[in-house]
Amino acid sequence: MSSKQAKRAEIGKHTLVVLVLLFAFIPLLITFVISFKSNQQFAVAPLTPTFPLHFENWAIGWETISGYIANSIVISVLAVVLTLVPALLSAFVFARFRFPGKTVLWYALLGLLFMPGIMNLVPLFTLLRDLNMLNSMLALSTLYAVGGQVFCVFVLRNFIEDMPQDLFEAAQVDGASPLQQIWSLVIPMSGSILGTLAILRFLASWNSFVMPLVMLSSQYKQVIPVGLMRLDGEYIKLWGPMMASFSIAAIPLVIIFLFTMRLFVKGLTAGAVKG
Amino acid sequence: MARVALENVSKLYPGNVKAVDKLTLEVRDGEFVVLVGPSGCGKSTILRMIAGLEDVTSGTVTIGQRVVNDVQPKDRDIAMVFQNYALYPHMTVRQNMAFALKLRKVGKEETESRIRATADMLGLSELLDRLPKALSGGQRQRVAVGRAIVRQPAAFLFDEPLSNLDAKLRVQMRLELARLHNRLGTTMIYVTHDQAEAMTLGDRIVVMDDGVVRQIAAPTELYDSPADLFVAGFIGVPQMNFFAGTIEASATGVCFRADAGFELPVSAEMAGRLTAYAGKPVTLGLRPEHIGVSESEQRGSGLRIPAVVDVVEAMGSESYIHLHTGNTSFVSRVDAHRRFEPGQECLQAVFVEKAHFFDTATERRIE
Repeated sequence: MSSKQAKRAEIGKHTLVVLVLLFAFIPLLITFVISFKSNQQFAVAPLTPTFPLHFENWAIGWETISGYIANSIVISVLAVVLTLVPALLSAFVFARFRFPGKTVLWYALLGLLFMPGIMNLVPLFTLLRDLNMLNSMLALSTLYAVGGQVFCVFVLRNFIEDMPQDLFEAAQVDGASPLQQIWSLVIPMSGSILGTLAILRFLASWNSFVMPLVMLSSQYKQVIPVGLMRLDGEYIKLWGPMMASFSIAAIPLVIIFLFTMRLFVKGLTAGAVKG
Repeated sequence: MARVALENVSKLYPGNVKAVDKLTLEVRDGEFVVLVGPSGCGKSTILRMIAGLEDVTSGTVTIGQRVVNDVQPKDRDIAMVFQNYALYPHMTVRQNMAFALKLRKVGKEETESRIRATADMLGLSELLDRLPKALSGGQRQRVAVGRAIVRQPAAFLFDEPLSNLDAKLRVQMRLELARLHNRLGTTMIYVTHDQAEAMTLGDRIVVMDDGVVRQIAAPTELYDSPADLFVAGFIGVPQMNFFAGTIEASATGVCFRADAGFELPVSAEMAGRLTAYAGKPVTLGLRPEHIGVSESEQRGSGLRIPAVVDVVEAMGSESYIHLHTGNTSFVSRVDAHRRFEPGQECLQAVFVEKAHFFDTATERRIE
């Protein structure tokens, strides 16, 4: 390929990438632009920046949704911890121990992967009601944790099985109990995959809408997706504060992603090449 | 330090696959015993049973005075060096060596002094803060050995520890292990499929095949008096030459008539034992160095095997001459300065006193 052709191919590739990025980012940009508008400005020019900028929209937005954000953070962090701890223990048992009925149990567990989550909504509601645990943030976190088990166990088992078995045996001879093996070997060596699973589970809990809508009745315990919906008034839409709230709601995720981007990409490709 | 004893130990894998069959072995306190045999002969399984990484199907494993069948690996007071080193990749050399001590709650000062002493002994002092990925194969191997040494265990178990190293490094590490054993005097059990390692390292060698012990003996005894055809063929490079044939006894004496067409008069010492095999199939075993050795060593046998040279392998100090007589191929080890050409017809002298005879039916050596 001549250098001219190569250059042309490069330009083509970059144009494509820029177009895709624009397509993805334009809605976010528009949200951001609208977040500084009054309703009148929005009516006149919905998509382009207008002046003066209404910074007070952000203050109103923050006041409205900061409680929801706090609830979401508590519930999601708790859900991540409650998901990963038992998932790691189960995955270790499946990967390292031989016991009767292991295969049957494994397939039973995998079968759950194919069950649509929404099917559980009514039984779970009934269960929580009977346990007198409706409207509890802890109960909601537990539901997320249970829901995330199968996928996490599946991924972690394969990951642990791919780790050199000699390492575990060396640790065993060195005197490490199974829990110490998990703590000293599995966790440090599977940092990227654990991080990726943590992010995925955090996002899943953060974005969940139906479950909190059904399980949490108190507005003070409500989470961000449901809270944002409540901003969408029945008679009047305050576009500026609403978009400011949406923008604020995205900030925690953006921060998490910025800090964990490298880990996340590493985790997604883990296992692709045996290291 | 401790003795390690296995009594009637068997290991059965699911599907009735017998990996080890009624093995009895006593490794004396401070002894270096090498388990050697072809792949799949059960030698690693034995080591893993001693370590506690595999259950024993039947029989007893004793370390020191204690039967350890149901004792966890960590409580057996043994240290193991693995084929792939099994270094913890996220820990530095120091952390790798300290790991077991930390789990045993050995004090910080004691840990550090043991690591220092071991690192000095193995030439690892400069590498203590490196991660395993920043070490060469030989250095990793030394760290793996060091990790075992700091434990000060009752016995060391080595599972083919040198097989991932290149030939030169392997010889060097072999020497270091021998020195280490002299220095520490700890019981060592070593698994390998490399008979050169077995011969050079072991106080005694256990030759195994198909889950069964074929012979337990000191290296020279193993070489000079192999118990059966398998041991005779396994120990020695190039391997022992075998000639099928029969024993003929007559008034003039006893001789071995090879199917390949030559006759070998049997020494007076062997004649008495071989008379009973008259007319029966017997296999003659001759080490390559006992065929075609210097003229002065061909004492009185008068036997010359008429043969044709196939290939000459020059090894520097000596040459391996691959020959055939009739349909039987054999190898002769001669001084490198003697000239042979492929296709050349020659008469190979045999050192009759060194001939071994095996009962072809039972494969046992006739003693």
